Amino acid sequence: MSTTNTEIENLIGQEYKQGFVTELEVDTFPIGLDEDVIRKLSKVKNEPEFMLEYRLKAFRHWQTMENPNWAQLNIEPIDYQAISYYSAPKKKEKLGSLDEVDPELLETYKKLGIPLDEQKQLAGVEIAVDAVFDSVSVATTFKGKLLDAGVIFCPISEAIKDYPELIKQYLSSVVTVQDNFFAALNAAVFTDGSFVYIPKGVRCPMELSTYFRINASNTGQFERTLIIADEGSHVSYLEGCSAPQRDENQLHAAVVELIALKDSEIKYSTVQNWYPGDKNGKGGIYNFVTKRADCRGDNSKVSWTQVETGSAITWKYPSCVLTGDNSVGEFYSVALTNNYQQADTGTKMIHIGKNTSSTIISKGISAGRAQNTYRGLVKVLKNAENARNYTQCDSLLVGDKCGAHTFPYIEVKQPTAQVEHEATTSKISEDQLFFCQQRGLSAEDAVSMIVNGFCKEVFKELPMEFAVEAQALLGISLEGSVG
Amino acid sequence: METKLVSYYSDSYSEHAALLSGQSVLWLQALRHAALETFAATGFPTLREEEWKYTNVTAIEKHRFKPVANSEAINAELLKTYLLDDMWNLVFVDGKFSAEHSQLDGLNNEVEFHNLAYVLATQPEKLEPYLAQAVSNDEHNFVAFNTAWFNDGLFLNIPAHQVLTKPIQILHLTVSPDCLATSRNIFVAGKNSEAQIIETFVGENAYLNTVVNEVFLAENANLTIHKLQSESKQAYHFGGTYVKQQPHARFQHHNFSFGALLARTDLHVDLETAAECSLNGLYLGVKRQHIDTHTRINHNKPHGISREFYKGILDNRARGVFQGRIVVAKDAQQTDSDMHNRNLLLSANAEVDTKPQLEIYADDVKCAHGVTVGQLEEKSIFYLQSRGINIATARNILTFAFANEMVEMVSIPTLKKLLATKLLNLLPV
Repeated sequence: MSTTNTEIENLIGQEYKQGFVTELEVDTFPIGLDEDVIRKLSKVKNEPEFMLEYRLKAFRHWQTMENPNWAQLNIEPIDYQAISYYSAPKKKEKLGSLDEVDPELLETYKKLGIPLDEQKQLAGVEIAVDAVFDSVSVATTFKGKLLDAGVIFCPISEAIKDYPELIKQYLSSVVTVQDNFFAALNAAVFTDGSFVYIPKGVRCPMELSTYFRINASNTGQFERTLIIADEGSHVSYLEGCSAPQRDENQLHAAVVELIALKDSEIKYSTVQNWYPGDKNGKGGIYNFVTKRADCRGDNSKVSWTQVETGSAITWKYPSCVLTGDNSVGEFYSVALTNNYQQADTGTKMIHIGKNTSSTIISKGISAGRAQNTYRGLVKVLKNAENARNYTQCDSLLVGDKCGAHTFPYIEVKQPTAQVEHEATTSKISEDQLFFCQQRGLSAEDAVSMIVNGFCKEVFKELPMEFAVEAQALLGISLEGSVG
Repeated sequence: METKLVSYYSDSYSEHAALLSGQSVLWLQALRHAALETFAATGFPTLREEEWKYTNVTAIEKHRFKPVANSEAINAELLKTYLLDDMWNLVFVDGKFSAEHSQLDGLNNEVEFHNLAYVLATQPEKLEPYLAQAVSNDEHNFVAFNTAWFNDGLFLNIPAHQVLTKPIQILHLTVSPDCLATSRNIFVAGKNSEAQIIETFVGENAYLNTVVNEVFLAENANLTIHKLQSESKQAYHFGGTYVKQQPHARFQHHNFSFGALLARTDLHVDLETAAECSLNGLYLGVKRQHIDTHTRINHNKPHGISREFYKGILDNRARGVFQGRIVVAKDAQQTDSDMHNRNLLLSANAEVDTKPQLEIYADDVKCAHGVTVGQLEEKSIFYLQSRGINIATARNILTFAFANEMVEMVSIPTLKKLLATKLLNLLPV
């Protein structure tokens, strides 16, 4: 037993490959947050007046709120006055094409394996990328091609200027500025993020993706993503992220809003690989994110898939408000925590419309000294006739110093609803390991194989390139943890 | 509003304190005052507390409940229905022991079996090692409230190796309007001992009944508690049972919640090495009833086994709440735990909120939970209809069958019969 544990521990401690820092000339606000900082931010971003009002309203509300502490997390107090709320690489006046992007930045994304060069992408696997670097979007590819199809894909700061009507109509229509502490903070200080609008009846011709990179120190990243799928449209969106290896914790508080109108479908996939801190739990990103989708139209569908391997602390619940009749919400999640990582993640499915259905598949893997919590809510309101939910939460424990917790909430006010919830917690059994080893696999490969099998139901929901990346990531994150 | 209420129970405390037992016992007075202070700080729990998220107790504040010195006449019919044959019966009226209605003939002399007021008056030191040891006042304010206000209760101490030949029934009957009935029971089961207890709660009028049971099981003891909560339809009921199990002890709990306007049951079990517990229950709510059950099983040491199975039926505007929490501590390897909660919603206005929870800090464990919420199956109804049974009867048959599974787990025939009768009476005509 003890030998197995040592082996497991050896297998874990894998290094974080994206932990480098890019040396750049940057514009950074001094640390601190007050109304002047917000005014300055709005001015730097050249925003219309309504945005400043929106931000100030959010900020004033935020000041009345308290840092929440209900999660199964142990968080060092955050000093919001010790963070800089804006940091952007210095750049030339206006970027006409990719050639004008700072070569240092291009190099950074190349190192991260993010294709910013349209020509060099392989035929057939075109992915449009919006690259967000600290507080700003530095490049967005395939904008032209997408516009031809009628699809708007651009940094949200541009959308605020170019499509104010859409912004006014949809921004904060799912996650209001009062929603929660971090959403209010985000509304006050968000700097960039992606904006997607798919017009009626359009199937987005390629996968859209955003890559978030934190580079500067002592800053927080507050990004905002807004995706609107108009009637009968379809879009698949991917999100990735990474950050340098630092000893202090950095805050990432994002808000993602999805709006699915009648007959539309949004598929949102995340591979979250923020710097998780070192072996002793030093440093790492605090990933406090509010993600919510509103299936506003009848027959709409939103599917969240997430693979969470990074961050010192993950605190997020991608949710679906199933307003439209026959709408569908899905949540597929793999959350892996190792060393001193903590995750409190899950979903909320709010059934409002008739014949709405939701599926939740959550796989939590806890190794080292990590704590991994699934927290979910399934709520069936009075008018949601024939609502259907199926929830399955499985936890896998690797090693005897970690914890795995399951906290589902089920609230049903409609007798025709059918709600099922199942949860199990177990460890990789000695038998399974022995079986694999006896067939010539090393202990590490065996564990990796078993874990991948455990997560298969979720991985099959990922777009192909992501699925490969996710599996590799899982292998790395688990390295040294096998047991 | 809240401040008013807190001050009502704090202010009126000195006025009523003379009625409460154990006035001359110093350590008890200190305990009571600490409890009163804890309670006075925040009053009854509110929806803001996670453990009370779904249960609003502000309705209690509309009343001014107080302990009753002289009880009204007892409804003999109620006693007749609920006092079971062939067991030792203890009756508490308005929270006070009534020797007149109790019968303890033939109970082994070695078994200590007294009402709490009597023990506090004669040998209070016997209670000191147990009182407020299985649960602290910080648990929540109903417990603190109980500690401050309890008047009577039962002290049962079964010596090692004793096996009680008959079950003990404790009948709590509350009859006086606006009565505050508060009792505290201490159950101690010695090594290798064995006993069965039936707690029954019945009454008339609006009243508040709070009961806290502290249960101590020594090594290899085996105790079964049945709770039949059939309070008056205007009553408020809070009942907490807190169990400490030594290695290899076994504890079974059968919980039937049928009565009260608002009822809350807390059930906490602490398991040491290789201890086992099984918690079964049925809550059935009609009209505007609110029935809340909170269970927590703490696996503190290895090899523990826990089984939990709760069913709920909610009709009309009733609301059911279930929370089952299983905590497996770091040392509790080889824990085997299984929890199920099944709910049947019979009406468009009924509601159920359920929260099964697993909190696991050990890796070599087998833990699972499952929850379902649904309605009667159309196919089953159709099957019965096709055999000439009308739809209302078909629904009743299926509802009864769903509930009766829990009744069947009870091994005492007279209790089983009473439960089945209660159940049939509760089904819609």
